[in-house]
Amino acid sequence: MNKQIAIIALMAGVAAALPLMTGENPYFTGVMISVLMMAALSSAWNILGGYAGQYSFGHAAYFGAGAYTTLIFISRFNLNPLLSIVAGIIVAGIIALITGSIVFRLRGHYFGLASIAVAEIVRLSVLNFDFTGGAQGILISDVSLWGFDLNSKNPFYYGMLIVLVVTLGITLFLRKSKTGYYLQAIREDQDAAASLGINLSFYKNKALLISAALTSVLGSLYAVYIRFIDTTAVLDLRLSIEIILTAIIGGVGTLWGPVLGAVLLVPLAEMLRSNVIGDTLVKFGIVSASSGLGIFLKENLAHAHVLVYGIITVLCILYLPKGILGLFGRGK
Amino acid sequence: MNQHLLDIRHICKQFGGNAAVSDVSFSVDEKQIIGLIGPNGAGKTTLFNCMTGFYPVTSGDVIFNEKKINNLRPDEVCRSGMVRTWQSVKPLASLTVMENVMIGAFSNTNSIREAEEIAIEQLQLVALTDYAGKKAGSLPIGIKKKLELARVLATRPKLLLLDEICGGLNKTETDTILAIIRDIRTNGATIVFIEHDMKAVTSLCDWIVVLNSGEKLAEGTPEEITHNPEVIAAYLGGSRHA
Repeated sequence: MNKQIAIIALMAGVAAALPLMTGENPYFTGVMISVLMMAALSSAWNILGGYAGQYSFGHAAYFGAGAYTTLIFISRFNLNPLLSIVAGIIVAGIIALITGSIVFRLRGHYFGLASIAVAEIVRLSVLNFDFTGGAQGILISDVSLWGFDLNSKNPFYYGMLIVLVVTLGITLFLRKSKTGYYLQAIREDQDAAASLGINLSFYKNKALLISAALTSVLGSLYAVYIRFIDTTAVLDLRLSIEIILTAIIGGVGTLWGPVLGAVLLVPLAEMLRSNVIGDTLVKFGIVSASSGLGIFLKENLAHAHVLVYGIITVLCILYLPKGILGLFGRGK
Repeated sequence: MNQHLLDIRHICKQFGGNAAVSDVSFSVDEKQIIGLIGPNGAGKTTLFNCMTGFYPVTSGDVIFNEKKINNLRPDEVCRSGMVRTWQSVKPLASLTVMENVMIGAFSNTNSIREAEEIAIEQLQLVALTDYAGKKAGSLPIGIKKKLELARVLATRPKLLLLDEICGGLNKTETDTILAIIRDIRTNGATIVFIEHDMKAVTSLCDWIVVLNSGEKLAEGTPEEITHNPEVIAAYLGGSRHA
């Protein structure tokens, strides 16, 4: 455990120093914010999905709850951004408790399906209410905290990093606590767990609540960072799926799997989106720009990152069931 | 009249129109070992499921420690002091043997260290200390059965329900388990156990309850049961006594 704390501290130190070393490079910082955010999202999901074994396919609901609540409070009531984040946690927590009390009666695939349904209910509600801006979304202008300008990227880089470190810390602490053992028992066999005195719904809800609260903070940060949100950006099923795939590819139920997944996948997606891969293939003459394949790559690869995620996931499930982290030793 | 530790009163359990258990009553006193026997499909495991909150009873009451417990959830039943094992073992596969037993111990403590101490104690009792660090899913059946036993003992139960704890084991393994049960019996445990092995049942039990087709056929001392013609007909081989 002490070794893991040291590794987390080391990672946090390196990540904290990174913007100082690279200097002013908005593009790089932007990509890194995405990496940290996805690492934290996937780690937060992992508390419920990886340790308690409850695969939520609807975590976008909590991300969106944080994002929307925060921007609504900032834009309408001019509330302090930090308090708006707390408001987001409360709303996400309420949604989590309502969801949990209903959905946790179901097991296995049924829980997964029901979690999608809840997330879709949240998405459609937000899309149709007036106070959420409906299909137009919410746009805010400049944000500041205590007179400190929040229009640069660095505050959000460090914000995401802090949430990631907190999430990893919580995971590490949980793993060696009664709650952590109970969650793993639930993952392994719910009947056996119940027969040994484990209150299934209490512990599942506890895991969901922790996971949802962390997810909502990330949603809030993202919303203030981008300063524009709509349902496609923060409540889409695609987001829920990306969170899960990152964890699966990295290694579900491990401390570092989700981080590794994000470090590998987010830059890969970014390269696909900006067509770096297609351009490189053409540049080195592997594919001719005018050939059919060249045109195909140029036109379609940019939109194909989810497809690539999907292919990697299939390969991982087939050949690396413990994720990429499983390649290294015990994968703990 | 002194109170029984466990009182099963007119339990009925129906699945649709099928009565899996009908009007079964018996009681268990402290420090008793009760054998629950009957042919396949007699309703023994169903009765266990009703007693431990996994199935709601259709009618009847389960009184444990002077409290009605048939509306409790399985985890509440466990924490009230009645714990069951599973006929088809349910190891927490990706956790170690030690962690499996610790999870049982957590029903009495929040401290990791105390749970570890209890777990070590129980592992010693069933002679599994050598396996403490092994993943529970990778073990042979004989070890898994012992693990089930250690895990429920770690909850410090007032009453143990053992569902075919010797099922699927060879003679040596069965004897080890029976020796462990004798051990915990001298420490004053109360046990209800489902078993097919008549030798095991008659050698261990103070009292035997026989179920057949969901109904209680007979109950009595091992001596009485082995000489009861109805029991012999239903359970020990019907054709000879038609």
